[in-house]
Amino acid sequence: MELFLNSIGFGLVTASILALAAVGLTLQFGMTNYVNFAYGDFMTLGAYLTWTLNVGLGWPFWPALFVGALLMAIPVLFISQFVLEPFTRRSGPTFHILIVTFAVSLILSNLILAIWGGDFQNYNVGTDTPINLGPFILSVQQLGIIALAVTCMVAIHLLLTRTKLGKAMRAISDDKNLAAVTGIDTRRITTIVWVLSGMLAGLAGGVLALNVASFDPNVGVTFLFVIFAAVVFGGIGRPYGAMAGALVIGLVVEVSAVFIPSAYKLDVAFLVLMGVLLVRPAGLMSLFERG
Amino acid sequence: MPHDLNYYLATLAVYFLVYCVLTLGLNITFGMAGIFDFSYITFMAIGAYFAGVAVLPPSNQPGLQWILGLNLGFPLDLLIGAAAAGVMGLLIGLLAIRRIRSDYLAMVLVAVWTIAWSVTSNMIGLFNGQQGLIGVPQPFETQLGVNPNDYVFVFIPIAAVVLAILFTVAYCIERSPFGRALRATREDQDVAAAFGKRTVRLRLTAMTIGCLYAGVAGALTIEFLSAMSPNAWAIVETVIIFSALIVGGRGNVFGAVLGALLVRIVIIEGTGLLPTLPDHPELIGATRNILIGLLVIAVLYFRPQGVIPERRRRYFEARKPAADTSQEVAKGG
Repeated sequence: MELFLNSIGFGLVTASILALAAVGLTLQFGMTNYVNFAYGDFMTLGAYLTWTLNVGLGWPFWPALFVGALLMAIPVLFISQFVLEPFTRRSGPTFHILIVTFAVSLILSNLILAIWGGDFQNYNVGTDTPINLGPFILSVQQLGIIALAVTCMVAIHLLLTRTKLGKAMRAISDDKNLAAVTGIDTRRITTIVWVLSGMLAGLAGGVLALNVASFDPNVGVTFLFVIFAAVVFGGIGRPYGAMAGALVIGLVVEVSAVFIPSAYKLDVAFLVLMGVLLVRPAGLMSLFERG
Repeated sequence: MPHDLNYYLATLAVYFLVYCVLTLGLNITFGMAGIFDFSYITFMAIGAYFAGVAVLPPSNQPGLQWILGLNLGFPLDLLIGAAAAGVMGLLIGLLAIRRIRSDYLAMVLVAVWTIAWSVTSNMIGLFNGQQGLIGVPQPFETQLGVNPNDYVFVFIPIAAVVLAILFTVAYCIERSPFGRALRATREDQDVAAAFGKRTVRLRLTAMTIGCLYAGVAGALTIEFLSAMSPNAWAIVETVIIFSALIVGGRGNVFGAVLGALLVRIVIIEGTGLLPTLPDHPELIGATRNILIGLLVIAVLYFRPQGVIPERRRRYFEARKPAADTSQEVAKGG
């Protein structure tokens, strides 16, 4: 029982990492209507930028993470404006674009390999004492991850509901042409969302690398399909669905490690992904939403 | 020295022949049917592993663990490898190929690769885990008793015969009604369905045939190299096969072969000739992959049909000379 409760604690940590990643991926999908297969490498890049600031320049971890995420804006702007958007502008999202994002993934992952090398790296975070919190035993860093995710989710909720930008994002996600007709500058909003998506990927990559303790250039890619599972669970393009999906997948993955060898715990996410696609491809959250 | 060069060129020839099988298979799945089989390399691996355990004797020693161990000879292991890949492809296709968005399908197939990779690496009893299968006997190795350094010259005809058969099959599929139906579902599934084509079944068949090809390529790979480990089928390998097909020209067999030549031989072997920096051995591979990524983006932007474009077939004009048609129109009007 103790093991079970503790695994729920770890589940909340995994869910937090997933939520940051999944919301970033799904917001971008809502704007552009295609899946970005380079997203895992965006996360890896965020992890390594954070590493350079943290280990290379000796900054404390959390400021390094935030600045690393801000720096993500530069490569993501470049990739979206000079590589991906020219394709969509020419003929709308055709099937080419999936291959292009895959090629971007190939380039990005090998740039990371060339710059930072293929060895395993760790963050310089010092020793961390676990804290007993009710039934859960979590480290201060893990609590920091949960706090970060909760803060970001609240911020995104406020952005989507209280600001003009957020309303425009929702309008584009519902119907891009209709949004354009009502005077929304869809190109500008899409660019902003790309940057937002890249920053969320950077945060998610940094905390993922922190949580797995030692990481290599594959850290984001191996996690990518878990993010897909969370995103599809909630219905792709729906930020609240992605949050719910992250919570469910995060808990399922960690709790399953109580019953099966933990090497296979992430594979459970695949079963959930297949189940959702077989039963309800629009995402289980579509059951609860109006319209 | 000349022997070394001959040996190198002969090895390149084998790589090229095997890579042609891979691009020809993907040409059916992706080029003709438009299925984003992003786990394509997984089926190559399944073919390789099953061919391997079909040839190898049973073993359960520590460090040498695998299933089956059938002790079979050459053509049988190839067939077993191909069949295993085809069956896996069919099963995964049954799960994944439905009327869902193509990016959902791509996500599922990326996930399939991740799972297959994680299971093969972690379940040591299956195919010897991260170590992979080693010491797989080569076809006709004992019967012919050739020097291992000359074995490559035995393997070239084997690979060439297999490729010749598979190329002919692919060529026939491309020109058959089945091939036309595949292209129709690729262009528009709804329209194809409206014309009475069973699109799900067509796509499933295309996926299975592609996986059979991948399985054959995998079997040839393990027969030639005598080894296969998870490092040989990282997900980037799938992207590289896609690149080869896109650069060469998807939807036609000659494009697939040209792509194999350009990407597998010119780019991969060409970058292999670059000088290595002693401290950064990974730079060559990184440069190679970045080049391939840039090339595929450039080709998709400037010449999306590839070097050899798919033929646009004109079925109606060929039947009647133009003069006859105008008379008919005049009469009808």
